[in-house]
Amino acid sequence: MKKMYYLLKVSLEKTIKELIRYKFNTITNLLILYILFMVMFSGIRGFGISLGVSPVDMGDNLEGFIVGYFLWTIIMAAYSDIAYSIVNDASKGTLEQLNMSNMSLSRILVVRSFSNLLLDIVFSIILLLIIMQATNHWLEIKILSILIPVFIGIFSILGIGLICGGLALIFKKVQSLLNVIQYFLIGLVAVFPESNIMSGLLPFNYAARGVFSTMMGGCSFMDFRAVDYGIMVGNSLLYFILGLIIFNQCVKVAKRRGLLGQY
Amino acid sequence: MNAIEVNELSKYYGKVKAVDNISFYVKKGEICGILGPNGSGKTTTIKSVCNLIIPDSGEIKIFGQDNKKAIGHISALFEGTRNLYWRLTPRENLRYFAGIRGLGGRKIERDIDELLDRFNLSDKKDIMVNNLSRGMQQKVAIAMTLLCDTEIILLDEPTLGLDVQSHIEIKNMLMDIASTMNKTILLSTHNMNLVQDICEDVVILNKGKKATQDSVEALMDMFKSMTYEIVLTESLSEEDEEYLSKTKYDFYFINNGSKIEVDISEFDKIYEIIDKLKEKDIYIKEIKQKDNNFERIFLNITNGEVE
Repeated sequence: MKKMYYLLKVSLEKTIKELIRYKFNTITNLLILYILFMVMFSGIRGFGISLGVSPVDMGDNLEGFIVGYFLWTIIMAAYSDIAYSIVNDASKGTLEQLNMSNMSLSRILVVRSFSNLLLDIVFSIILLLIIMQATNHWLEIKILSILIPVFIGIFSILGIGLICGGLALIFKKVQSLLNVIQYFLIGLVAVFPESNIMSGLLPFNYAARGVFSTMMGGCSFMDFRAVDYGIMVGNSLLYFILGLIIFNQCVKVAKRRGLLGQY
Repeated sequence: MNAIEVNELSKYYGKVKAVDNISFYVKKGEICGILGPNGSGKTTTIKSVCNLIIPDSGEIKIFGQDNKKAIGHISALFEGTRNLYWRLTPRENLRYFAGIRGLGGRKIERDIDELLDRFNLSDKKDIMVNNLSRGMQQKVAIAMTLLCDTEIILLDEPTLGLDVQSHIEIKNMLMDIASTMNKTILLSTHNMNLVQDICEDVVILNKGKKATQDSVEALMDMFKSMTYEIVLTESLSEEDEEYLSKTKYDFYFINNGSKIEVDISEFDKIYEIIDKLKEKDIYIKEIKQKDNNFERIFLNITNGEVE
């Protein structure tokens, strides 16, 4: 447990230092997310007006759009982090050093992604506040009720990240795949199947539904049933374990082919 | 018990055989060099030992245990890679790499201070690594391998690309580490002077195969006794050179025949050579045993196949 604590501590410290030292990149990322949202938001509103629907009538959809965008920024950060950090470390030359740890590479990457995620959530909440201010659509933000389903559900996205990371270890250039998955993820936070089973099988979908009901339906985490938590936890475990298995197999393949130190 | 034992290690990359059935060992507390030309399999061997490459066959033992289970005993520094995060300072890098091994707390902070002090990096501890010289970056990377306090340190080309001063500093650092910290060090290098100066044992690889393993001292002795330089009072005539070339000895004529070098297997043979020269009225000014350096030994063993 102490080992995990030190790992999380240094991962957080590194992330914060690099965010500060690569400040241009940090600010640009935030700005792009904000501008992208505003462009999409204006587009949707304009689309509604052109159909003769007043902006007031579009309220629910716009609020849904804001929540969906908020979740999308979080899961996008979570899934891409592992793959991009492998690509970065391989090109920097530090990936082999990470492999020299007595903790497994998957554990280091998951903890590192988790620490990045903590900061991404902080940024996403700040972005959410800015967006609500800019759009004048104020949502009820119950931090705990939002964070609980996000943290339970996010492990399924980390599982997908591990799969992409494993592929990055072997094939190195996986940006095209990452871009495609990025759009697939939009569907996970925007489309909710009527069937609970179907929603429970899709990664993060059930947790996203929980966040929607919290932010738009006025629910709190206390209103979730045990079965809801069960589905969220089961979904996360399924994808996370699958991700771990595939990632560890990819590490073996990379070691057999001598690919760990190459980019 | 040996610290490292490599038995019948082989590794192919596609159809290319990188390492071909090599076996060697490194005793606990010794510095062993792996020497070889480019493409001889040095890096593949080092990376196989630390489980970054899975070999096709063979086994590697670390203190008698399978290397995959003994990774906690090893730290390593790799050639051609940066080993460090450039946007972090030396102190932050050391703290990070300790953290990914599950180490932290006050003891590690103290150890970091001691290491930075030991390697004269205290005044650079808060400067980002990308602003340090190549030599200093290498020092930080070596400090990183020591921080984990592993018994075995693997170094792949630790002095590659360093200027003369940094090279000497790193060499002295490694000697200091070996003598005061009781570490087992396996280093691969092209640099024969480094091997001669700091290694006790050496494994010479050539074309993926082991050419030899012996102590540096034994190899030096073995080759030292074999080459003699004979300085003559005057240059040899063509006829004399032809005569000597037809004898059973391998003569090398230097300086227009005013000097000859000859390799012999036993000291007594030198008298036979003197007799041969006497027969042709060739007079000797001086005979001396040729000083061998490790480069010459290496070239002899690998038959000069160095890129």
